[in-house]
Order: sequence, then structure tokens, then C-alpha cells
Amino acid sequence: MSHKSEFSVAGTYPYNHKNAIRWVISHLMRYKFFLVATATLFTVAYAAYAQSAVLIGRAAEEILTPSSGTEGALVTIALLVLLVLVTDGVASLFASLSVETLAQRMEVDARHELYISLLGKSQTFHDRQRVGDIMARATDDVKQLNFMVNPGILFMFDLVLGFAVPMVYIALIDLRLLAVPILLVVLYFITASDYSRRLNPVVNRLRTQFGTMNARLEETISGIEVVKASTTESFERQKFRDNARGFRDYFVQQGRIEAGYLPILIYGIAYGLIFLHGIFLYRADEILLGEVIAVIGLFSVMRFPTILSLFALTLIQNGLAGADRILTIIKTETELDENREGISRTIEGDIVFENVDFAYNGTNVLGDINVHIRPGQTVAIIGQTGAGKSTLTRLVNRTYDVSGGRILVDGVDVREWNLATLRSQISSIEQDIFLFSRTIAENIAFGAPGATQEQIEEAARAAQAHDFILSFQEGYQTKIGERGVTLSGGQRQRLALARAFLSNPRVLILDDSTSAIDSATEGEIQRALRRMQEGRTVLMITHRLSQIRWADVIIVLDQGRIVASGAHEDLLRSSPHYRRIFARFDVELPPLEAEEPAA
Amino acid sequence: MGFIMDGLDAEDYDRQYGDKVLVQRIITYFRQEFSRMLFVALAIFLTALVSTGLPIYISASIDRIRDDTNTGTLMVVLSIVVLLGMLSWGFNAIRRWAGATAVGNVVLKLREDAFDAVMARDLSFYDTYPSGKVVSRVTSDTQAFAEVVNLTMELLSQGLLVILLIGYLFTVDVPMTLITLALAPFIVATALAFRKIARYSVTQSRRILAVVSSHIQESVSGISVAKTFRQEQAIYDEFLDVNRRSYRINLRTGYVFSSIFPILNLLSGVGTAALVYFGGLRAQEGYLSPGDWYLFLQGIALFWFPLTSIASFWSQFQLGLAAGERVFALIDADPNVIQTDNQPLPSLRGEIRFEDVDFHYKEGEPVLRRFALTIHPGETVALVGHTGSGKSSITKLIARFYEFQGGRILIDGQDVRSFELSAYRHHLGFVTQSPFLFDGTVRENIRYGRTEATDEEVEAVARMVGHGDWIAGLPNGLDTEVGERGSSLSMGQRQLVALARVLLQDPSIFILDEATASIDPLTETLIQEGLDVVLKSRTSIVIAHRLSTIKNADRIIVLSKGEIIEQGSHATLLASGGHYADLYNTYFRHQSLEYIEQLATAS
Repeated sequence: MSHKSEFSVAGTYPYNHKNAIRWVISHLMRYKFFLVATATLFTVAYAAYAQSAVLIGRAAEEILTPSSGTEGALVTIALLVLLVLVTDGVASLFASLSVETLAQRMEVDARHELYISLLGKSQTFHDRQRVGDIMARATDDVKQLNFMVNPGILFMFDLVLGFAVPMVYIALIDLRLLAVPILLVVLYFITASDYSRRLNPVVNRLRTQFGTMNARLEETISGIEVVKASTTESFERQKFRDNARGFRDYFVQQGRIEAGYLPILIYGIAYGLIFLHGIFLYRADEILLGEVIAVIGLFSVMRFPTILSLFALTLIQNGLAGADRILTIIKTETELDENREGISRTIEGDIVFENVDFAYNGTNVLGDINVHIRPGQTVAIIGQTGAGKSTLTRLVNRTYDVSGGRILVDGVDVREWNLATLRSQISSIEQDIFLFSRTIAENIAFGAPGATQEQIEEAARAAQAHDFILSFQEGYQTKIGERGVTLSGGQRQRLALARAFLSNPRVLILDDSTSAIDSATEGEIQRALRRMQEGRTVLMITHRLSQIRWADVIIVLDQGRIVASGAHEDLLRSSPHYRRIFARFDVELPPLEAEEPAA
Repeated sequence: MGFIMDGLDAEDYDRQYGDKVLVQRIITYFRQEFSRMLFVALAIFLTALVSTGLPIYISASIDRIRDDTNTGTLMVVLSIVVLLGMLSWGFNAIRRWAGATAVGNVVLKLREDAFDAVMARDLSFYDTYPSGKVVSRVTSDTQAFAEVVNLTMELLSQGLLVILLIGYLFTVDVPMTLITLALAPFIVATALAFRKIARYSVTQSRRILAVVSSHIQESVSGISVAKTFRQEQAIYDEFLDVNRRSYRINLRTGYVFSSIFPILNLLSGVGTAALVYFGGLRAQEGYLSPGDWYLFLQGIALFWFPLTSIASFWSQFQLGLAAGERVFALIDADPNVIQTDNQPLPSLRGEIRFEDVDFHYKEGEPVLRRFALTIHPGETVALVGHTGSGKSSITKLIARFYEFQGGRILIDGQDVRSFELSAYRHHLGFVTQSPFLFDGTVRENIRYGRTEATDEEVEAVARMVGHGDWIAGLPNGLDTEVGERGSSLSMGQRQLVALARVLLQDPSIFILDEATASIDPLTETLIQEGLDVVLKSRTSIVIAHRLSTIKNADRIIVLSKGEIIEQGSHATLLASGGHYADLYNTYFRHQSLEYIEQLATAS
């Protein structure tokens, strides 16, 4: 694969990514043995089962025309019946196990492939995808693939063999008797495809409607305080009723279509016809009565596929749809690559934005950004949500690449740095701090897997996290997350700071939206941040007035443009935006000097 | 497959229904569909009759056609076979159509009732039970319950089929029937043993699925951290391990499920062989006609299939009943907030009086004890105190979200219980800590406060909040989609929308649980400016977390353990150096300019 990727694994199996069908086939072809074994065993099983009908016909013949050898013949036939039925049972048992193996392999392999590709995707990609959506693909869709193989493909075998094998046996008895089965198969395909064409849209609508009803109800219940406070219960009730009624209507519609499943009717008529045909040939002395019995027995085998194959089609359609969704992700091009040959050295921390423009999904997010940040400076970026603050910082570690202009780190375009070198020296602490469901020690050491306990504790002390960590019963070995302790926002932030300390970055990007509920926590966070700023370049998106107040440079962003920048005192004089923040405090502000240029 | 059931979480409001009560409840819901269900039952019975009749008839005809060469007889036989086939289809069609209609209607009725019951509950209900579980009771459990209808029919028809068949077979030949029946214990035993194994391995599979899901969820959510620290390989290695384990466990489960039918087939194969032999002998000896012999061979297939399906449907049937019980428990639970009268109120001055109010969420853990407080019309009151001091309970009692146990709450001198509840709530504006927005546009969300408001009115109130400066920050202005629960807006923007919503509603009493989450300073300024507008000229109660809010309040009420321990203005309380001064130093000092200014150490 010539895909760009931020992560790759050597020696992965090359699957065909051309389209969903080819992709599924290439997965199946990886296990040719199981594929061949399944097909062979199933053919054997069906042949054996059909053979039993023939044997029973022969037994009937022995009974109808008794002779001295009948009893011996019956013993032989009964033993043969036992033999073929046991063969049938054993063969279908192993066929089932074989196809099950294929199905399970399909599931894990697809998930594996998807997972590798997810790791290789850029942050831009991950920002666009919702976690829930990816989860659905990695669990539900791969399950659909599993079901597509077993029982989907199994049912397909049933369809083909369940029609073909009895027909071969019937042909062996008398070729003319094939007339009715052929008619059945033709009519079956016509009516069944018409049926699924009518049923599918209704089933889809039913499913969508259920989702809508569920989502809507979930929303109403989550927002119940608003509903009750705004007294809109009747409005919500009407909405729910409409949704529930819509579901009921599709449900009934589905039942009506299912009621009209014609193949069962056709089979019923064909059953009579082949009986008639057999009797005619018997009357004409062309075949024996036992053979008529055998033919009817064989024809009974064909009832199964007429009923079952519909599920097969649905399962295969679902599987292919799932395959398509997974493949879409695998095939999505990622914008960045590892750039292994790029520049690799220690970063000083000098950052220059030169005429930077950035557009995301076709809309301009940033325009005409020019800033020079010197090593060791702390820069606070402020602006309303959507002003482009996070985007601005994310261009530095190439989470995104600029659309125009360039960003220089130590005078070198970021695109010329080795990606791993660049990122490992630029640490970023996101707004939603992510901690893994592991121990506190493991979380702090995440970026430096070999760190000793002393190093971990030192980092925790610097981040003002040591004390609260020790307050937990298991200290550094305390588990975080669902099955462990729940941390407050301030605690999470200090752990993230400790994690960053340990990896000792040259540049720190901090999206600090954590609120401190009390003054003591605020004081600790302030101390941790100050330690972090020592000797590093820091780009900070912060809600803390104290951090903004004392930053070396404050950048005020409004709708993707810098409308003011400078130190606190300068901005109080030059930016009405900035003044307004401090206007609420009862203090004397210096006079406003010049009009802020219109954005 | 219906072989499996797992323990479903029970809730406090669940109750055990006696069989009789449960059956009565079920019948109540099915009564409206009685004629249709009768029709369906009939169709199922006839389907069973026809499917049993066909092989019997065929085997009987074999004997007749052998003896009677008349073409007319043949034609009669043929017409009957075809007719039976068509009837089988017809009855099946009736059953599907009428069945779907009946089930659809019952589910609809159940859902409507369950929804109404949910809406009638007070907030203590919603606090206790996660929304996802309540939703699943209203949408999924109702459906699962309705399946009971189908399953009952199915069980009846299969059972009937078996009984009819056995009954008939006995009249044909007793020893052969006994041979056929000898198979039954083996089939049942195998099915039961299988269920046990299946349940175990399915539980294992569920667990591993949970592990796989949480691993993927975590790695996808934490991908940016993994990228920043270049730890993709470590995460990948963990995934490989989890994925392999999942494969092993699922393969085992898959093997269990794949082997059941072949094994049952093997059993019936043994039975078939035995019948071929013994039946053949008996036919030869003249006890059995060849047609009847053939009937037994057909009969064995007709016999073991219903048996296995009864075994598998049974647990599904129980699941359905359990689901029904959960839905009924939801419907039957009593709402706690009860109004004693239906007084309409055209307008309110906004005077609030608590008289000796006792309140608890849980028996034995009182929150308010003989609580007394009077808030004057137009006054802005800030409630402060540590967590658990009863601040939010006071506001929620005013909103009538919970029932209190003793004393009275008077609004404009009238008992709050005497009002028509929705009319009363029209006069209340409530903004919660993390304001809830519904999926839709900002405009729709503002209009939620007064659904009949015009676009002009909506725009007017939007502009009143923070001078409307926030609207420019929205990508499509007021027509910006807010996303699921307002997720596309920032917390600050959601607050602004909620404030505009309350302004549109123009309530006489305004209740604000101030957000503790931090908001960017520019938006924060807009919210404060917006609050100035809302608080003006109406009774307001604020659970305050912002220094500027308490400073602007007419009166600060300091609460501790459900009691008022101090009240007064910011300046006087701070000067007196009591509890308020402590609270100030703990929660508010860092928001003051003095604190900010003293941190002059950053550079």
C-alpha cells in the first residue's frame, strides 16, 4: 500500500481494497483451506441427505413388492440409511465448525486491519470522526461481517446445494421429473427478488424510525428539567406519539409484505405438481412407486432453501454494507506522513507564523496570521469559541497543516521536521484531558515508558499532583476511570501536566479550560503552570484571567484573525474587546488610546 | 437464538407481579386487539393442521393411488394437495399480517402509556434512573413484551402440532409411535445440556466484547495523546492481545452454536434408520401399509423440529414476560409531586415564602428542617454554601420538581400545591448548571421558552443578551445547528442560549444554578452582561459561583446543613468576618482582581 500513514506495521496481509466485495473475498481467500473444506463437507452432507431419500424410496419398493430377500434387504437399507445420515450429520458438523472458523477470523482480521489503519490516520481525520461511529464500525460492522459468513454464506450454500443436489438425484431417477423443480427455481428467484426489493426499504425505514424514536426520547428524558420548566410536556408527548405511530405503521407494513411471501405458495403448488408428474410416470410404468416416494422426499429437501434464503440475502447485504463502512475508513487518505527523513534535533522553541492561512472543510478558519514567539515566552491566546484558538496552536505540532503561508520552528518549516522528533518535543494538553483507564503511575509515564518511580514522583511534585495522589489509598497504583477513582477537572489537569513534565517538551501547548472550584486548587494549578513555563515556550489558551494578565504576549483572536496583540497594559489601552473583560472589576482602567481596527 | 438470557438490572420501582395480576394486565392490553388476535390464533391453528395434514394425506394417497387407477381419484388427490399448499400459504399470510397489526398496536399503546407515565414523574425519578435505562424500557422492553404475543402463538401452534401428530400416529400404529417418541427425551436432553453450555460461553463472549469495545473506545478517544507521545506501538500491542483473546473466546462460542443442529440431526438420523427397518418389517408383516410407513418417516422430521423450537422459544417467552413486567412497573409507579388543586394564575408578583419546610430525598437524611425564608418580589437573592448545604434543593422545591414533606411554600401568599402545575411553571424561568439544548437550531432552542413567539421576538431577546455580540460568533448566526445536546456550541454559548430562552419566556421568578465550568473571558463577560438584563425587575434566586454575581445580589444567604446561618450584602458580611468570609476565601477570592494582580510572578 502506498498510503501515507502516521503508523504502520510490517508484514500485514495484503487485502484487496478495491471494493467491498473484493475486500471480503480477499479476506476469505486468506483461509483457502477452510473455504474448500466448508464447500466440500457441505456438498457431502447434502448428497448424503438426498441419498437417504433415495434409499427410503428403495426401501418402499422392497415393502411394496415383498420377496424372500426383503428382510435382509431392509436390514441393508436401514444400515445404509443410518450410514448416510450419520455421514450427513458428521459432515455438516465439521462444515459448520469450518465456516464458523472463517466467520470468526473474518471478524478479528477486519477489526485488526481497521485498527491499524485508525492508528495511522491523522488527527484531522480523528477530529472529523465521532468516537461512537468508529466504535460501531469496530464492533457492530465487524459482527455483521461475521454473520455474513456464518450463517450468511452457510445459507447461500443451503440455497445452492438445497436446490442443486436434490435436482441431481431427481434427474438420476428420471430426467423428465426435473420439469417441476426447474419451474420452482425460476419462479422462486423471480418472486424472492421482488419480495426483497419491496421489503428492504421498509425494513430500513423501520430501523431508522426506531433510532429516531429512541434518540428523541433519550433527548426528552435527558432534558427533562428544561421540558418541565418550560412546560412543554404536551409538545414532547405529541412528538413521541408521532414517532411511535410512525414506527407502528412501518411495522405493520413490514408484516403485510412478509404476509405476501410468494415462494411458499409456489412451493405448495409445485409439491402437488411433482406428485402428479411422478404418479403419471408411475402409471405409465416408467418409474417405480418407490421412486415416486424418493422424488417427493427429495423435493421436500427443496422447501428449506425457499424459506431460508431470504435471510441469507439480508445477511449478505448487511455484511457488504458493513464491509463498505469499514473500507471507507481504511481507504480514507491521511494528509500527513511520518517524514522519517526530516530534520531531527533539539528544539529551541522559536516559533514564527508567517502569513498563515488555514481552511478546514472548505471554510476559512484562520487568515493572515503573523506572530513571532521567542524561546521561553508565554503566549496567551484569547477569543470567543470558534475564533480559531485551538486551530492556531494545533498547526505548530502539525496536527493540521497550514493551507497558506508557513510556520517555522527554530527557523525551519514544520513540514521539514521529522514528525516524531517534532511531536515528541511539543507537548500538548488538550481541553478534554484524556487519561487512560490504568494506574496513575502508568498514566504519568505514558510518554516515557521506561521512567522510574522516582522520576514519576518528581514529575508529579512539579505538577502539584503528588499530595492528592498520595491521598488515594493505593497512591500511584490507583486505577483511574470506569473501574477506578473519578478525578476532578483540576486533578486531571495536574496529572496531564505531570505527564508532560516527564516527557520534558521544549514547547508546551496548553488548552486550559479547567475551572478551579476553590481558591486552594486554583493556587496549586497556578504553581504547577508556573513550573511548567520555566525555560519553555508555552502557547496557552486559557480562561484564567491571572494567566492572561501575566502572559508575555496576549493574542486576541476574532473570527480567525488577530485583532490585537501585546502585553496586558498595552491591550487595556488599545483593545476595547480586552478592556471589556476587566471593565467588570471595579478598577480604574487606563484611557483607551486608539480605535481597534474593524475585523 | 433465543436460548440465552442474561440478568437484567432491576430498579427500585420494579415489583414482582403475581401471575394472575400479570396475566390480567396483559389481557387488558390485548383486549383492544381481541378479535384480531383470535383471528391470528385461528390461522395458526389451521396452519398447524395443514402442515400436519399434508404428509398424512400424501402417505394415505400413496396407498390409494396404488390400488385405484382411476384418473378422477388422482385428480382429486392432486387438487387436495395443491389446495393444502395454498391454504398453508394463505393462513400463514393472515397470521403475519393480522399478527403484525395486533403487535404493532399493542406496542404503540404500551409505549404511549409508558411515555405518559415517565412524563408524570417528578425529578427524583430522573435523578435515580439513568436516562438510557428508562428509554430502553419505553422503546425496547415494550417491543420485547409484544413479542410474547407472537411467541405465545408460536408455542401454541408448535405444541398443537406435536400433540395432533402424536395423537394421529397412535391411531395408525402404536409400536411405531413409541419408537418415534423414544427419541424425544434425547432431543430434549441435548437441547437442555446445550443451553447450559451456551449460556456460559455467551457470557464469556459478552465480557470479551466489552473488553474489546472499551479498548477501542479508549484508544480512539486517546489517539491524540498517543500521537503526541508517539506511543502507537504500545497501544497496538495491547490491541493485538485483546483481539486474539476475543477470537479464541468467540470461536468457542461459535463452535457451540454451530454444532447444535448437526448433533440434533444426527439423533434424528438414528431414529429414521430405526423406523426404516422396524417399519419395513411391520409393513412386510402386514401390520402397516407402505403409506403409513412413509408417514412415520415424514413424521419424525415434523416431530423433532417443533420440539427443539419449543425448547428455544421458552426462554424467549420468559424474557418477554420479564420485559412486560418492567414496563408495567414503570407505568404503575406513583408520581410523587401531587397538586391538591388546579388554581390558574394569570400573573405573579414573585413573592416566595418557605414556612417550616421539611424536605429529604431519602428517608432519614433530612436536607431542610423547618426551613423558613421570605424572598420579596423583584429581589435578587444569592445562595452560597458548601456542597450539600441545600442550595439547589431550595430552588428545586420552588420549581416543584420534588415533593416536600412538611410545612408550606407560599407563592404570592398562596400554597404552591394549589396551583395548576403547568400554569405555575410558565411563570418560572430555570437555567441549570449545564444548560440543556435540544438538537435543532439556536433559534428553535430559544423559542422553546415560548413556542408561539415570532422570529422578531426571538431575535430581539437574542440581542438583549450580551448586546447580541455572541451571535456573530456562531457560524450561521441564530440558524446554527446546536448538535446533539448542544454539543456543537461551547458551554458559554449554551449558557447564552439558555439566558435568551428564559428572557423570551419572561418569567416572574428566575432561578439560576450558575455554571461552575470555566468559560472564556470574552464569553464570560457577555454572560455577565446578559445576566444583568435577566435579573433586573424580577424575583431571582441564584446559586452563585461567580464573584460578580454575589457582589451584585440584593441579599446573600449563607446556608449550612439546610439552615440559614448568615444573610446580608457582600460588603457587610465580609466585614463581619463570619462564615461568609470563610466561604469567600475558599471559593471566591481567586476570582478577585486583587488575587490576579498579586500573581505578578509569571514572567
